[in-house]
Amino acid sequence: MTTTRTPAATRFQPIDQQPDDAPPMPNQADKTLAQTRTELLSTFSAADWESYNHLVGWLRDTNVASYALKVGDDAPDFLLPDADGRLHSSEQLRRNGPLVLSFFRGGWCPFCTAELCALQAAKDEFESAGATLAVVTPETRDFPRQLKRSLGLDLKVLSDVDYGVAMSYGVLFRVPYETKAHYSGLGFDFGVRHGSPVWMLPIPATYVIDAEGRIRSAFVEPDFTIREEPAQILSSLRQATFMSK
Amino acid sequence: MELHQVRYFLAVASTLNFTRAAEQCNVTQPALTKGVQKLEQELGGQLIYRERRLTQLTDLGKEVLPMLERTLASAEAVRRRAQEFQRKDVAPLKIGLAPSISASLVLDPIAEIAKFVPGLHVELREGAAEKLVDLLLEGEINAAMVGDVQDMPDRIDDWSLFEERYVAVLAPTHQLANRPSIGIDDLRETILLKRAECDVALKIQRAYFPEETLHPGHCSGNDLHLQHMAAAGFGVILAPEHMPRLPTLKTIPLEGDLVSREVRLLAVQGRRYSPALDAFVKVARLRDWSFEVPDRGVPHATVPEAARAPA
Repeated sequence: MTTTRTPAATRFQPIDQQPDDAPPMPNQADKTLAQTRTELLSTFSAADWESYNHLVGWLRDTNVASYALKVGDDAPDFLLPDADGRLHSSEQLRRNGPLVLSFFRGGWCPFCTAELCALQAAKDEFESAGATLAVVTPETRDFPRQLKRSLGLDLKVLSDVDYGVAMSYGVLFRVPYETKAHYSGLGFDFGVRHGSPVWMLPIPATYVIDAEGRIRSAFVEPDFTIREEPAQILSSLRQATFMSK
Repeated sequence: MELHQVRYFLAVASTLNFTRAAEQCNVTQPALTKGVQKLEQELGGQLIYRERRLTQLTDLGKEVLPMLERTLASAEAVRRRAQEFQRKDVAPLKIGLAPSISASLVLDPIAEIAKFVPGLHVELREGAAEKLVDLLLEGEINAAMVGDVQDMPDRIDDWSLFEERYVAVLAPTHQLANRPSIGIDDLRETILLKRAECDVALKIQRAYFPEETLHPGHCSGNDLHLQHMAAAGFGVILAPEHMPRLPTLKTIPLEGDLVSREVRLLAVQGRRYSPALDAFVKVARLRDWSFEVPDRGVPHATVPEAARAPA
């Protein structure tokens, strides 16, 4: 490699390449996700920009986000294992209040790890609003465990083995060839991570689902660098709770 | 992609006929065609050739078919579980285990899925890996756990679960019983009890004793038989570390962890999973298997760096 800039993903140390005793990510609770995004984008190499623009352009052209479930839709039920192989059903998760369900791309993605840290920091607030928080990854094997360990998360990290839940929420897409080439070049093998020969990813999306299983708020963004701020989710939650009273 | 589009494509793939596929999906043919076209746009190429009367899958169609079948089946498993529950159906789950895989390995996953699959009825079958592959293809078992397999048919889905080492198991009175570890030269001079149809025996023989024949000991295809023979002082067994052992036996690591193997989960590609099988496969692919041998300080059953490279 003769480029002077290393790819962003390497500089931001994908979580599973860190030793177990690596220091946890710096506390970003005082920053909004938008601020973290600006910082991460400023470290993009030319190759990162090219891949990013291509993928986001492709997702917009094919209008993949139009298939995503919307406010008022019934949220499909699911039964998924968490990072330790314990099963969780959607009925259980929303039994006592709204469920915040957030799809992310994987522990290799710095925008996802930033989002997870922000959600972790807001976890108590979600709980005091009576909500349960669960995040959903396409990764299998010990990748979700490594992610939790290296970021010090105590979130419910559910593994969408074989992508059935992302598909039923309409947020799944097949990774285009150019994107696959870019990520392979960075050393990310989704085939191994997902246990699937065909590379698929979710569009990052955050849903608030009420206790009856109805979608009360939906944040679906084909630009994978943009995530819903925890403060915004909390405000949707309070509104959903208020309206159901 | 959208659930409906995938459903339409799978119906065309199984009927190879747009009219019948549309009937099966309960939609008009133009609606079905439009859905398939949208999926083709997203996947970046044609999935189906349509030439006069001949309808067949393209290479891309064949490539994505098994995955889309899995994904759709997985998406629908929850609804089917609710239906089974209402009908109070028995939910059979038949799991094949290679002789070197102890049933103790699957008990916890079974207990986990039993919480969510009422009526779960598990049957365990033991057999050599090749035999289990046949049973899978015949539909006699739904999933199998095996060690190394020589030739895996394309129709079998294969996930690496964890890697584990082999250890020497012997009676405390055995001459090697007080060693901190056992090396190749020790094995050369001792009597090894042989596991019939063992998937790693060949690997051990080839790697360490290519030229010579080892002292032939007694043999059995049953792990408990071998353990009793070892306990009676007949010789040493090489056993996967997770295998539960008679309390009268002692375990000694092999020098430099000479022998290890991957434990794999197998299921038949493209076959509709029952809710019980769906849950079992999902739990197995997330579970922390290193938990199985808690008496060692360091995690030893680790997920190998590179599993079988996907296509």
